[in-house]
Amino acid sequence: MSQPIVTPELARALNFVGMMAMVGVLIGAIIIQFYYRELPCTLCLLQRLAMVGVAVGAAMNLMLGPDARNYGVCLVSAVFGMAISLRQSMLHINPFFDKSTGLPTMESTANMPFGESILGLNMYVWGVVIFGTVMLAVAIAQLFHGQFEPSKKEPKWLSQLATIGVGSLVVVVALQTVLTFLECGPGDCPNNGGWDWWILR
Amino acid sequence: MMTLAFGLLALSAFFLWYRKASWGWSLVLAALIIGIVIFVQDVDFSTNLGIQL
Repeated sequence: MSQPIVTPELARALNFVGMMAMVGVLIGAIIIQFYYRELPCTLCLLQRLAMVGVAVGAAMNLMLGPDARNYGVCLVSAVFGMAISLRQSMLHINPFFDKSTGLPTMESTANMPFGESILGLNMYVWGVVIFGTVMLAVAIAQLFHGQFEPSKKEPKWLSQLATIGVGSLVVVVALQTVLTFLECGPGDCPNNGGWDWWILR
Repeated sequence: MMTLAFGLLALSAFFLWYRKASWGWSLVLAALIIGIVIFVQDVDFSTNLGIQL
């Protein structure tokens, strides 16, 4: 019997790469938040929530082995994140409506972008790119069914990779939870950026 | 609400790491449902949706 193109071990390693990409984006977002002293808005936090959902789905593939349900967790989270990113992009992409009044205007400054741009794109536009990429990657990954076959004994390097990778995810998500509580408290989060921490009010 | 959603995800990731818990997906879905509720509350349907989307 021929060896499948994507073995369970390779699929788990690829899920590690995907999970660490999400962790990297989350760390980058937290660094940018403090560097520019700009708190994330509600929609920005919801995009981070979706990214964590994608990362947890990939982490489940990494820890428990590839499974359609785990890919489903990634996909549902990516669809949710894409909806939020598109909504926020739409809010800022059309300059001909005044965001404060909702009325048509010819002033191009009526609806300025939210936050700093990174490599020419705002964070919410990057969100569209990232979640689109996740959807495509999950769809392509599921084409290779060899990964769902029972695997032999787990290699030690893979077990160590999973422990370190998912451990870093736990730390980042715990940090994000604490930061969210300090920003929003138990209630609604601020929508206007700035540096208005709930804990300092 | 937002803190609760992130807290559920943190719990899911922690138990996956600590116990290899396979039920973490249900916490992710619960967090996403909270996210949908926050999103729907955030959208001002009467003014925004009709004009800007």
